[in-house]
Amino acid sequence: MHEPSSGARTRPGRRRARLREAVAGYGLLAPSLVGIVAFLVVPILVAIGLSFYKWDLLSRPRFVGLTNWAAVGTDPALLNSAAVTIAYVLLVIPLQTVLGIALAVLLHRGLPGSAGLRSILVLPWVCAPLALGIVWKWIFAPTDGALNALLGTSIAWLSDPDLALPAVAFVAVWSQAGYVALFFLAGLAAIPASVLEAAQLDGAGAVRTFWYVTLPLLRPTLFFVLVTTTISAFQAFDSIYALTQGGPAGATNVVAMQIYTSAFKTFDMGRAAALAVALFVVLVLISLAQQLYFRRRITYDLS
Amino acid sequence: MRPNRARRLAIGITAAAMLLAGCSAPAASPSSAAPQENAQLVFRTWDENAAKAYDQTFAKFTAANPGITVKTEVVAWADYFTKLRTDIAGGSAPDIFWLNNSYLAPYARNGNLVDINATLGADAAGAWVPSVVKQFTVDGKLWGVPQTSDGGIAVYYNKKLVADAGLSEADIAKLAWSPSGGDNSLLTVAEKLTKDASGKTADQAGFDAKHVKQYGYNAAYDLQAIYLPFIGSNGGTYQDGDTFTFSNPKTVEAFSYVVDLINKHHVAPSAADTNTNGDFSRDQFLQGKMALFQSGLYNLANVEAGAKFDWGVVGLPAGPAGAISVTNGVAVVGNAASKNSAAVAKLLAYLGTAEGNQAIGASGANLPGVTGAQQVYKDYWASKKVDLTPFFSVLDNGTIPAPTGENFAAGYAAYDPILQEIFLGRKDVAAGLAEADAAANKAIQG
Repeated sequence: MHEPSSGARTRPGRRRARLREAVAGYGLLAPSLVGIVAFLVVPILVAIGLSFYKWDLLSRPRFVGLTNWAAVGTDPALLNSAAVTIAYVLLVIPLQTVLGIALAVLLHRGLPGSAGLRSILVLPWVCAPLALGIVWKWIFAPTDGALNALLGTSIAWLSDPDLALPAVAFVAVWSQAGYVALFFLAGLAAIPASVLEAAQLDGAGAVRTFWYVTLPLLRPTLFFVLVTTTISAFQAFDSIYALTQGGPAGATNVVAMQIYTSAFKTFDMGRAAALAVALFVVLVLISLAQQLYFRRRITYDLS
Repeated sequence: MRPNRARRLAIGITAAAMLLAGCSAPAASPSSAAPQENAQLVFRTWDENAAKAYDQTFAKFTAANPGITVKTEVVAWADYFTKLRTDIAGGSAPDIFWLNNSYLAPYARNGNLVDINATLGADAAGAWVPSVVKQFTVDGKLWGVPQTSDGGIAVYYNKKLVADAGLSEADIAKLAWSPSGGDNSLLTVAEKLTKDASGKTADQAGFDAKHVKQYGYNAAYDLQAIYLPFIGSNGGTYQDGDTFTFSNPKTVEAFSYVVDLINKHHVAPSAADTNTNGDFSRDQFLQGKMALFQSGLYNLANVEAGAKFDWGVVGLPAGPAGAISVTNGVAVVGNAASKNSAAVAKLLAYLGTAEGNQAIGASGANLPGVTGAQQVYKDYWASKKVDLTPFFSVLDNGTIPAPTGENFAAGYAAYDPILQEIFLGRKDVAAGLAEADAAANKAIQG
């Protein structure tokens, strides 16, 4: 985009031409703009508006001012779900990212069968999370469950407050590590062989090369992966809905689950909207922070 | 994220398509309004067996009322009331649908339903099972046409497992329980019927509760089949009006007794199994790994189809206040916002006749709510040589009211996690129930 320098005087003719250009530009953008406005901007505005009302979906919405917002900051159930979500993200993201990089590095060696393995690794991500949740629920079942049968135990994986969150996080990591690895594979493929060769000539071993050459050059990929997976981890819902419904005793009650409960179990749309908007704001802030951190540390030019 | 979005998109497209369908229907038929009405109605239920029966009923209805067709849709129980609420709010709800009395009040009070007396006349209800009519009356008005009448709760039993334990049907036919030292044959029988991996029963020394191979009984966190009957049979209450009364001392005793059956006497599956899988006990019974399975007529068709062994039915175990069960009917209600209100009224009237209600009874899946249609159901089970008397005789003892209230769903959502903890044995029963009371009653205040 070329921006006119401030204070530049343009002749009327040029200004008209620019205007026409702008109109044409927006005209071309219109189709996708309609989608964004109708399905993104409007719902966000509706959610913000709704957060000041009490609405049970049947009777007329009633204006309640800041009541719902006050609850976001004070209701112990909501504070618990915020804490659970953070714990969940801290469990999932590091594990999943490290596992993704490790898998990518191994696959990148191009050993026989790598292509097939690559497809298999992505399979869990391709499957519907809800269906996976149901399968894992059976695997985790205390009686007649596959995992307990294998271990010869009868551990209540999903009913023990100490085990439920790690179990749910494990399913998330399992289903997404392969998908994350794909991005790192692409990132590895973009690193020129000459750079690695230079490192080798300078006497760097495999480990040193990885830490000081490969990993820094993977930063653009890392940035993208961290931003997208962090956001999706904060929004985790499907598999938790299938596995634990937020139980036991709220141990896996992540924010998205709490939003669902408020909206569709207790039919308190205003409370749910306030929570959803709060989650949205938090996610925007996290993305901005990530961008600030990576902006100074990313090199896109690999030549 | 991606499959997520794809699914949301699919839902959006479906919703849009439904909206279009809803809009185009009246536009397509303005010219043919004169002699016969043209209407396509949508009917919704949560029961797949019933849906098949309704299709036959609707075919007959259309033959008698040319121009009115009815489409049946099934929404699973787990999502039924969530989807219904959003569909009502979005104006895309079906014209007529099944409703259970626990969820009736908010729809009735908000004017979402067709007033049955005003539409079908005050005498219509005379043909229907009185207890169901009463359940669907809110603020003095009737809001539904009874379709099923569930009978009461009784106990299915596995004849072989009972005989193997050296017990006769007479031994299990009149079970009793008491939280404080009375006749406690339910526990002693259940102990004899519970076996660990080495074959030891629960009343023997060295019984290994960690490896139970055969359960005696299905005590569990199960509202309709277990804890409501236990509360009622101990003289306790679940609700007083809309208010939850878990702290009632008699109610606390009943819960303590049930929780002890699970966690102290180990005659029932662990709550870790049954809390997260509501069908666990039924599946164990059908696999021949559970001797006594307390449930309702709603599981009769499942037991008939799934049990590969000889089974029978005995009466509900009696507590200090007798054997008090719950009975829960289902009614079909009309959507007050339907564009085809005349056709809806005709269909509701038809479903309230013996002929209109008969099909769902003929397959043995549901006991009809229209009194004149019940015979087909009884004939069906008589032909299978199944004696259903225990499900009905229990109602003579009186019943504990089924859950109700304008904000019942919110109250349930609030107490549900707490009761799950109580059944898991991680929360003290009395303290947990007091907490459940407070949480649920706060939630229904809104």
